[in-house]
Amino acid sequence: MRFFSADTNAQKVEMLKNIPIFHELTRKEILEVDELLYERVYEKNEIVFEEGDPGHGVFIVVSGKLRADPGHELLKTALLDIGPGESVGELALFDEGPRSATVVALERTVTIALFQAEFSTLLMKNKSIGVKVLIELARILSRRARQLLQHEKHLPTL
Amino acid sequence: MRPFPQPGAATLLVVILSTCLLLLLFQKMIWLVLPVLLALLLYYSLRPVVDALVVYGVRRETAAKAVCLVQMIVAAGVLILALLSLSKAGTWQGSFGRYLAGGQNLVRKTTGSLERAVPMFKRMNLSAQVDDQHVRQFTDGFVKKNLLPITLQLLEWLPSLLLVPYITYFMLTDLGRLKKYVIKSVPNAFFEKALLLFSHLDASLQNYFQGLLVLTFLEGSCLAIGLSVVGIPHALALGLAAAVLAWVPYLGSIAGCIMVVLVAATDFPDQPSTAYACLVLFLGVRIVDDFVFMPLTIGRKLRVHPLLSVLMLFLGATVAGATGLVFALPLFGVVAVIGETVSQVVTDQRLRARYRAARQLVAVSLERI
Repeated sequence: MRFFSADTNAQKVEMLKNIPIFHELTRKEILEVDELLYERVYEKNEIVFEEGDPGHGVFIVVSGKLRADPGHELLKTALLDIGPGESVGELALFDEGPRSATVVALERTVTIALFQAEFSTLLMKNKSIGVKVLIELARILSRRARQLLQHEKHLPTL
Repeated sequence: MRPFPQPGAATLLVVILSTCLLLLLFQKMIWLVLPVLLALLLYYSLRPVVDALVVYGVRRETAAKAVCLVQMIVAAGVLILALLSLSKAGTWQGSFGRYLAGGQNLVRKTTGSLERAVPMFKRMNLSAQVDDQHVRQFTDGFVKKNLLPITLQLLEWLPSLLLVPYITYFMLTDLGRLKKYVIKSVPNAFFEKALLLFSHLDASLQNYFQGLLVLTFLEGSCLAIGLSVVGIPHALALGLAAAVLAWVPYLGSIAGCIMVVLVAATDFPDQPSTAYACLVLFLGVRIVDDFVFMPLTIGRKLRVHPLLSVLMLFLGATVAGATGLVFALPLFGVVAVIGETVSQVVTDQRLRARYRAARQLVAVSLERI
């Protein structure tokens, strides 16, 4: 019986490679990142995190669906349902600010979580992986910002 | 951000009691605690090397094996040297007695000088008290009674110290997986808090052990340089030994100082000024250590109030003797982090409600299956 052996197989590597944040990583880099990821399963209607909670990491949906319910009017126009391959809570990787929305599982949902402490270690330990992940995160965040700007016409587009 | 309630006096009391209980346990299992502690020290100092090798494309297991192999070769060398020294235990006993006599000689000369300089000391007849038979009996008895048991104790510990490279290797390869394995059993509601706790513990231990190594290096170097300037033989070995002894708070520094002063008094019997210079050097290094090195290395990483530190040291010494003195502060730091997090979780109604709701959802889901 192997209690805490590595459980990364080819299927899991493929699954992680299909997630936009890890899309640019090589197989070897995926294995390195996998050591830092935590798999969590949420039942239907279970809360992942609540608005106002201190944020510590990003959740990436592997299967199932999450719904974000932001308190702020402006954010209600942004993406509300988070499906496979999509992520929620990216800002928490850069600061420990409060969560801006409550996120609930719409069905049984499998997620993987990457936390700030592990992310910082990754950036310092392996800059090559860090840069690739950071670029993907920047793309996701800029896409979100553009979505918000499209809905709020009075805000200037930079 | 929703603020978490600050841990109160009850938490502090539980933390202090838990620390004392753990110290008692540590004392009973010192044969295991010592290798684990040394393995932790090596783990935190070798982890950056293994991480660097992994970045250069070496597999983690291979990197850990290579690093541990080098470490085992060094440890084997130290072990052979230690066994060679212990085989000369007979000469040791003679040397120890010689150094004690040297120290006695220094005290006699110092009291003589004091009596000549200050009439009050003359009236107190200090030299006669030093020459007293009881003192001689104590020093002679000390060598006979304590040296052999100490040597045998060291020999008893040697096999358990062989565990150190073995534990270090598994820490370097599997500690991350062990953490994932433990986290898996934490309910979703407390998952983020548990991860944060692990992260704080890891950071605190890393700061402590890496700080301790740097502090030992700085203190050892300063003492070695100072002792070689004074002209003491084997300055490097004595400086490093005194720096390692300083791991035991307060008592360790005093023991290191006495050791060097005895060597100086014996090797230079006609020059008491050399022993005084060593004493001044130790006081100087102690001050620099407390006010410069300590804040720069270990510093306030443990964030324990000075009054609480002293209280924990006294409690540690009372509960577990020398073991308690060495482990009281780092253990209190670790238990305090755990205690604060558990207290935050227990007193957070919202997290507990989320946990209860999640359990019901899991039960409903299982019923459907």
